[in-house]
Amino acid sequence: MLKTKRKLGKSARIPNKTSKKAARAESQEDLTAEDPTHLEQSSPSSDDGFDEPEPIPAKKNPSQSTTKPKINKFKQRGDAKNVKPPTLEEMKELRDTQNLFHSNLFKLQVKEMLEELQLKPKYTEFIDNWLESFKVFTQQLKDGLMERTHLEVPLNMTQKPTGFVFSKPTREPYLIGAAATGTLLGPKIVVDVALEMPKESLHKEDYLNLRYDQKRALYLTYVTERMKESPSYAKDQFTFNYYANNPLKPVLELTPVAKQVTKHLQVRLFITAPLSSFKPGRFVPWNNNIRPSLFNDEWDEEEPLPSTQHYNANVLFDLTLAENQAHLEKAFKGRRNFQDGLLLLKVWLRQRELGIGYSGFGTHILAAYIVYLNAQRILHQSSSSYQVARTVWNQLANTDWTKGISLAPASSQTEELGKLAAHYDVCFMDFTGQLNLCANVPLSVYQRVREEAKLAVDLLNDMKLNSFPLIFMQKCPLYSRVDNILKITNYSCVDQMLLLHSQPQFKYDYAKYGYPQLLQLLTDLLRKGLAERIQSIIPLERATEAWPVENKAPVIGKHIQLGLILQPEHAYEVLNKGPAANEDPEGAAEFRRFWGEKSNLRRFQDGSITEAVVWGTAQDAPAKKRLIVRQIVLHLLEHHLQVEGKDVQYIAAELEEVYRLSPWFKVNKLKTKLPLDQDTDAEALSPHVIRCYDELARQLHGLNDLPLEIVSISGTSAVFRYCEPQPVLPQARVAGSHILTSHVQRVIIQLGQSGKWPNELTALRALKTAFLIEIGEKLEAQCRLQWVLSAEGLLVLKQGFCFLIELAHSKELALLKQEVTERGVTTYVDNPASRALERHHYILPKVSGALHSLHQTHSAFGPTVLLAKRWLATQLLDDGLWPETATELLVAHLFQQRQAPQAIAAPQTGFIRFLQLLAHSDFNGELFLLNFNNSWQEQQIADLEHSYRSDRQSYPALALATSYDMQHAGRLWTSEQSPSQRVLGHVTRLARHALEIIETSLMSKDLRFVRPAQLFRASNEGYDLVIQLKPDLVPNSLSFDLGSPFVSFSQPNFLLPPAGADRLARIVRQLRSAYSDFAAFFYNPHGGKELAIVWRPPTEFAPKPFKVTELHACTPCENGKVQVLKETLIEDFKLLLKDFYLRIATPEELKREQREHQQPKRYFNAKQSQEEPKPQAKPKKQKVRKDTEQEAPPKKKKRLIKSSALKALN
Amino acid sequence: MRTAPQAKYCHSVYMREHFIRLMDPNKPKGRTLFLLNIPPYVTEDSLKTVFGRAGTIEAVEFAAKPGKEETIKWYEGTGEPFSTTRPPFSFKVAYVVFQKSSSIGKALALKSIDLFNSSGECIVQTGMQLWHEEYEGSYLMEARKAKLQVSKYMAGYDKRERAAAEAAKTGEADADGWVTVGKEGRNAGFEQKASVIGRLEQKVARDHKSKELKNFYTFQIRESKMQNIVEMRKKFEEDKQKIALLKQSRRFKPF
Repeated sequence: MLKTKRKLGKSARIPNKTSKKAARAESQEDLTAEDPTHLEQSSPSSDDGFDEPEPIPAKKNPSQSTTKPKINKFKQRGDAKNVKPPTLEEMKELRDTQNLFHSNLFKLQVKEMLEELQLKPKYTEFIDNWLESFKVFTQQLKDGLMERTHLEVPLNMTQKPTGFVFSKPTREPYLIGAAATGTLLGPKIVVDVALEMPKESLHKEDYLNLRYDQKRALYLTYVTERMKESPSYAKDQFTFNYYANNPLKPVLELTPVAKQVTKHLQVRLFITAPLSSFKPGRFVPWNNNIRPSLFNDEWDEEEPLPSTQHYNANVLFDLTLAENQAHLEKAFKGRRNFQDGLLLLKVWLRQRELGIGYSGFGTHILAAYIVYLNAQRILHQSSSSYQVARTVWNQLANTDWTKGISLAPASSQTEELGKLAAHYDVCFMDFTGQLNLCANVPLSVYQRVREEAKLAVDLLNDMKLNSFPLIFMQKCPLYSRVDNILKITNYSCVDQMLLLHSQPQFKYDYAKYGYPQLLQLLTDLLRKGLAERIQSIIPLERATEAWPVENKAPVIGKHIQLGLILQPEHAYEVLNKGPAANEDPEGAAEFRRFWGEKSNLRRFQDGSITEAVVWGTAQDAPAKKRLIVRQIVLHLLEHHLQVEGKDVQYIAAELEEVYRLSPWFKVNKLKTKLPLDQDTDAEALSPHVIRCYDELARQLHGLNDLPLEIVSISGTSAVFRYCEPQPVLPQARVAGSHILTSHVQRVIIQLGQSGKWPNELTALRALKTAFLIEIGEKLEAQCRLQWVLSAEGLLVLKQGFCFLIELAHSKELALLKQEVTERGVTTYVDNPASRALERHHYILPKVSGALHSLHQTHSAFGPTVLLAKRWLATQLLDDGLWPETATELLVAHLFQQRQAPQAIAAPQTGFIRFLQLLAHSDFNGELFLLNFNNSWQEQQIADLEHSYRSDRQSYPALALATSYDMQHAGRLWTSEQSPSQRVLGHVTRLARHALEIIETSLMSKDLRFVRPAQLFRASNEGYDLVIQLKPDLVPNSLSFDLGSPFVSFSQPNFLLPPAGADRLARIVRQLRSAYSDFAAFFYNPHGGKELAIVWRPPTEFAPKPFKVTELHACTPCENGKVQVLKETLIEDFKLLLKDFYLRIATPEELKREQREHQQPKRYFNAKQSQEEPKPQAKPKKQKVRKDTEQEAPPKKKKRLIKSSALKALN
Repeated sequence: MRTAPQAKYCHSVYMREHFIRLMDPNKPKGRTLFLLNIPPYVTEDSLKTVFGRAGTIEAVEFAAKPGKEETIKWYEGTGEPFSTTRPPFSFKVAYVVFQKSSSIGKALALKSIDLFNSSGECIVQTGMQLWHEEYEGSYLMEARKAKLQVSKYMAGYDKRERAAAEAAKTGEADADGWVTVGKEGRNAGFEQKASVIGRLEQKVARDHKSKELKNFYTFQIRESKMQNIVEMRKKFEEDKQKIALLKQSRRFKPF
């Protein structure tokens, strides 16, 4: 900068050339490695926003000599290389970044991705060469009669293929689609080539009754056969496939064996025909080109023939291909920005799986749309690739194609366009004005694309977000974006539906292709029946598999899969109300007809008497209400299409079983006033606890004569935010001086301000205890609640629930943080203890509240967390390995961040997305920020991300931050130990595996959806040792048990432990704190009865030299070295788990035994087992226990050990 | 160390007389036995029982590793009433202080540390027994007893506070010539808190700033512009680095 200015001063006086020289000389003088040309260019940069003051030579000159030493001084001060004067190019780039891209980062990311996507030159070379050789090949083709062929014609033909007269193509084959526009996309590159049938080979009557399609298929077969005979293609792999799942559009898929492109490149050969082959107007949408007589149907002579607009568009696609292609090529050729823009859009579309299959929104539509926008002058020639993509999204989101748009230049007559559009859902006319490019796109898919586009624009506009990965990198398979899935794969069922229920005009229109007919039939029916309960019904398609050319063409379209996106506000309504019977009798009759016997005449509270269908009661559990849509769909299918429930698969809520109440536990044995069902679940039980808590809070607020008022009460247990996966039943009760319960609900209270609290930690705690006792006594006296004081707080029993009341005081936190520096200054520094206290007493209540309100807006949040937590628990990951709040926050992240246009409405979908999040996240590079209430500002986020990037080591492996923990951002909810890098990797692998299972079962034609046991049971492999605990000492959880990976089911016990004592968790915590250098411990926190152990790598157990500081658990071995012995450690485990463990074995042993167990028992087997030594040979110490119920007496234990045929590892 | 008479695999404990240059007064020279590799479940009491055979014991102390402050660190925050902090559960070192130095020799002559009594029962509490003890003993608190404890502690605390306040009021120099300055009284100083000091310092800085002219000299304007460019470049560089990082983890392959 400095120099520039000086130079400018000079250049005003000295002629141009000399100034250049002078600049060069000066720059050398300054000994900086600057490029002189840059210096020169910088002179006109004054209009670049850097408002250089106009040099005033007369005044400046004297100061020159004085400034010079200053500059040098400045330069020497340090960052010399950063203070180059900005060059014109640099300024331009910076400005471009600001104007043309969203931000520097976005631009760079786009650049990197485009580089990644760039086609290697070897492929382009190959394509050119291949096309040349193919041109030569086609020229050598000769006219002739196809008498017989050893290939199967890839079309279900009505006539024999013999007698087809081939006439050689008159036009050279040419590239179409992505290859022509230069937007080929890997990893499998598909090059589309079109070969035009000459006009002569088509008869003028060929437009009728699929004759054109047959000719086309025959032509394709003939060419294929000649190609196979030709030596230059002999080694290539030939397959046929249907283009876009359209059985009338077979294409040849040729995979060349050439070394340079092996397997990565495929050529698709399309057969087309010239536009002039048929009379113009033959294929306008309102014409009929497939006569009913083709299918031996009768048609009333009087009636006009039904229009076959979809079939017509199908033929027109071929006819107009050449012309459309020419236009596209003209628009894209040499315009890198358009090509890149299209590439971006293609990536975006492909990640969303919206372009697949018959009803897909193909990328050629996007290409045409870019041209359209360019023609409309909305998109400028020089727009950057980012602008192209952005404008397309913006226009997609804000325009409506249902009225029709057109690329044709002469399409000014809007009536014409309207007439065309009336025949299709979505209308986008091509360059010729004849073909609707979106002919096969159903309205729902188009709307979905629009919504996605809108979301993309929104994401781009959100400056707080790095939107790039969300838009381009994240895979969003369609199945994980829909809430429920209807799958009909039963062949006979489909046939019956097509035969009996599909209207004939659709049959002709789709040329008897089943899939679109089914789609039409089902979506019409379901949309009418579900009305506002759903947002959309989206077809889920898979591309058809290619088949060898010798095989017969497969019949496709005999199954259908529909994804339903629910509208959560209305989907769970229990009532469908029809018109009033007396006011609108016709409507009522129609309503009755539609719903059949389900519809009844009902009288409502407002006095109206109307037809109505009732699907449940308002008091039903949420899980039950979520299945109302399923009920309706199945009823409609049965009532209208005579399809029984067993013939279809309706995928919804299969996995939700896992948080149900265990069927072993009988609710009717419980003494409670609450109305409870046997088939209740954790989700439905949470409100009971919350209601009880609310009442307790009211009682606490109403306590008289407390020295200080209670100002705030907040529940911090998971159940208060609907995130407790184990059902909480009102079981807690008092036994002697104890409260027995399996769940303790934590409540934090805060008292009013007072200046009289002591300034010493212990005194403060003493006073807190006194206060709690006071509260307890008052509660007993005024509300007749029983209470027990514990070290953590006050245990209060209310209506069968146990609450732990803790007192939070800001002074305690301050005292914990307090430190006195060497200068005698008091400072407040965070330390682990203070951080834990702050989280527990101050931050968690706030986050809990935020999550609670998140559940209020998205009712699927709670159950999704339940599924996620259950899944992690069944993978033997407890709170110590993977913090439970981390799960909650990750799921909240899913619900908060707008990754899809619609929020998740079904917990199962939420769970699938959670798995996706775990499987595909870059935990190392990403910090999960939950910006509740948007309280993080843009700058703060940027700072946080910067610190996260530059100082990654200081953050835990999984970093989470919320709005309420800004000072601790990223370090509060997780730590280096939980989850550790290893556990994180383990979870990622598990999630990938689970996703794979789900995906295959969802996408396969034959498989049913996964059983919960497939997902919610850990594998028993990879563990070194299993410590089996005594089943009668460890109470079962009330949640639905899918079995342990190691042993078969045992008799469950539902004993209540004393409040606040999770023995297993405590023991495992102890084991971890002492032995985590040598082994990792896993158990299922939801009632698991085994402790699985994995030894650390053998290097930990290798002999090492004697060192005083590294001697933990070592035993001497040879050469004066020491070593850790596994056997000693096992002895330690046994000692610590005394009275708890049944035996220690390897998983293999357990597996073997389980197998033996299943075999019929023989006499000698049983005898042998009895002879085995018992692990618990030692005499038991008598234990003073009042509550005998929670621990079985020793006698019973012994009997149990005897009865189980187990071998101890001694 | 044996936990049961017939134990096959057991931990080896290393012991010797405690001897370092800087002696800790709590671990007097010649009377302290230093033990290494003590398993986590061993308590002070159990060691007292075992080494009581060698002579009368004054104290048993643990630490995570040998070192000067380690013992204090180990017991930090554990002795206080109404605190839930417990010493860590892990392998540790121990210091056994005998009354007589002659006991050391006897102790060193011990072949094994037997953590069981004559009937072969382990004297270390573990498993259900320990858990039960802990739950009854320290988790649950009896309200009446707790109340008494609180009032006793608070009485002591009040006394101390009063004494301190008294000292502050009188403002007289103590034996070493120091005067206690409280928040109250005539000579009250400002609170020596980081936040208070920070606020004062900020104010001074602000005052300075308001007097300063920032856009007066040309070189100031120049420098601020330069700073601007430097920052923009820095940001650009940072973004580039971020991309490079992402590139390393192959985050740019969409499929």
